[in-house]
Amino acid sequence: MSAVDTAALTNPRARRRVLLRKRFLRRPMAVAGLVVVIGFTVVAIFAPWIAPYKAGATDFNAILAHPSSKHLLGTDFLGRDELSRLIWGARASMQAGFFATVLAMVVAVPIGLVAGYYRGWVDTVIARLTDVLLAFPFLILAVGLAAIFGASLLNATLALGIGAAPILIRVARGETFALREEDYVPAAIANGASDATIIFKHILPNMTSTLLVQATITIPGAIVGEAILSFLGLGVQPPTPSWGTMLQDAQSYLMQAPRLAVFPGLAIVLAALAFNVLGDGLRDIFDPRTTR
Amino acid sequence: MAEHLLDVADLSVRFDTDDGPVHAVDRLSFTLDPGEVLGIVGESGCGKSVSCMSLVRLLPETAAISGTAVFAGRDLLGLSQRRLRQVRGREISFVFQEPMTSLNPVFTVGRQIGEVLERHLDLSQRAARARALELLRLVRIPAPERRLHEYPHQLSGGMRQRVMIAMALACDPKVLVADEPTTALDVTIQAGILDLMRDIRERLGTAIILITHNLGVVADIADRVLVMYAGRKAEEAAADELFAHPQHPYTIGLLGAIPRPTAGAPPERLQEIPGRVPSLRELPVGCAFAERCPRADETTRTHVPDLREVRPSHLVACFHPGETGAS
Repeated sequence: MSAVDTAALTNPRARRRVLLRKRFLRRPMAVAGLVVVIGFTVVAIFAPWIAPYKAGATDFNAILAHPSSKHLLGTDFLGRDELSRLIWGARASMQAGFFATVLAMVVAVPIGLVAGYYRGWVDTVIARLTDVLLAFPFLILAVGLAAIFGASLLNATLALGIGAAPILIRVARGETFALREEDYVPAAIANGASDATIIFKHILPNMTSTLLVQATITIPGAIVGEAILSFLGLGVQPPTPSWGTMLQDAQSYLMQAPRLAVFPGLAIVLAALAFNVLGDGLRDIFDPRTTR
Repeated sequence: MAEHLLDVADLSVRFDTDDGPVHAVDRLSFTLDPGEVLGIVGESGCGKSVSCMSLVRLLPETAAISGTAVFAGRDLLGLSQRRLRQVRGREISFVFQEPMTSLNPVFTVGRQIGEVLERHLDLSQRAARARALELLRLVRIPAPERRLHEYPHQLSGGMRQRVMIAMALACDPKVLVADEPTTALDVTIQAGILDLMRDIRERLGTAIILITHNLGVVADIADRVLVMYAGRKAEEAAADELFAHPQHPYTIGLLGAIPRPTAGAPPERLQEIPGRVPSLRELPVGCAFAERCPRADETTRTHVPDLREVRPSHLVACFHPGETGAS
């Protein structure tokens, strides 16, 4: 064992990190998921440098062109480069996925914590309202909200974030129920901790791994949701590219150029799958019963 | 003694449950002087923990508390939640029975002790760290510098209980309530923890209320002992006096139930107290112990005995006190 390793193993925080990393690396699917997730993120952030053409650049000499060295994935009905549009479209998807999830967390977690900690009528009110919202399928809720807010990427993100909140409220509330029964809660009260200290300093940090796993489930939901909203014309507005609008455009040319639907579809599936697989992996490695 | 550090009078705790009220503590009075170790002894559910927890309102909200508890000139039972938070952990600290789970698993030991210090004493993080280290030394944890950065799961039970004690002592409280601090620990570790408590009393002058069902533990370190039965005080006396001249048949029964191995002799069968503790939901009309008492008669079954001073500073709630003829 080298000197660096020994130093790392005496620091417990580092030791736990090493253990988690080891467990993570033993799960090839999770690693693949992470690689793809990072890949999409990088593509989204650096789209202007990576994409061979501007998203709106048209080439009227190559309308509905087949893949070639000039246009790797061919072009659409306006002669726009399909690959470039996929790359630019990743921005809308990743933005919606990430920010909708952040929004949902920011809204839902405090509500869930308060409901779970105080119980009583506060909890009853919150839980019943959550149940009402949960009665609507996530997408119906998001479509309804997006229709009310008006069509734009920002509004679609808001709609998806709010739509995802009820499930997260329920997760946070359930977790708080369990955690508030831990012995360190009365111990902290006996030491003079206020309710806010207990909720945010003692209970919240104990559910971070649960929330992290939940986030990796919420993000793909929001990515797919954004595509659907954009497809329905409730999200990103043309000519701004998004995987959803690309599918919408491809509809009319399904017979002539099915690849125009296949590529954005693949992108959506791949992104959603990667996050899900990563989430499964994280759930496994955080599970204390995991021995591998 | 001019003024007591803590003067509890007529403390009653009632829980209103779906099946009617439960009188967990019934008109309990006791005092605590600075630097004194008071042992509160009794079976499970006799109200010993509840009575102490009610002092700083650590009970669920269904508990109805009455009486007075004067601590440093003010009645604790009349304080607002806000004021109580300043008392909890600062002036009256608790050490609980479960060292294995009473520490938050996601924080290092140093941070948890530091949190209490930052809250009550407004110390900077750096000062809190230094004080935490000092406290770990005080509770005699080996390699304290390293322990400071460790997580609870890396410590043994005894070590964790020491950390809990360090946390409780962080702000130099006047009263330390130790609720069965050794019950969950191995016997050898128990002795170490008791040793530590004795040491703390001597070095810091902290008054300690030691709640236990183990008379051996009490004999070890308590100055005064209060025996509780079914939410009421049964007997109270200085520790030596109580062990030498127990008056209440319940106390005598408890003392008889302590194993006393004699070298060479075959072990005797332990004396047990017949019967069970009455349900607090339906206490008998008379003395709560009458059902199990060898001295019970008509009076005990119909009247509740008052506390009487049968010997100097020796209170007993019994119609037929006396040292002999218990069982």
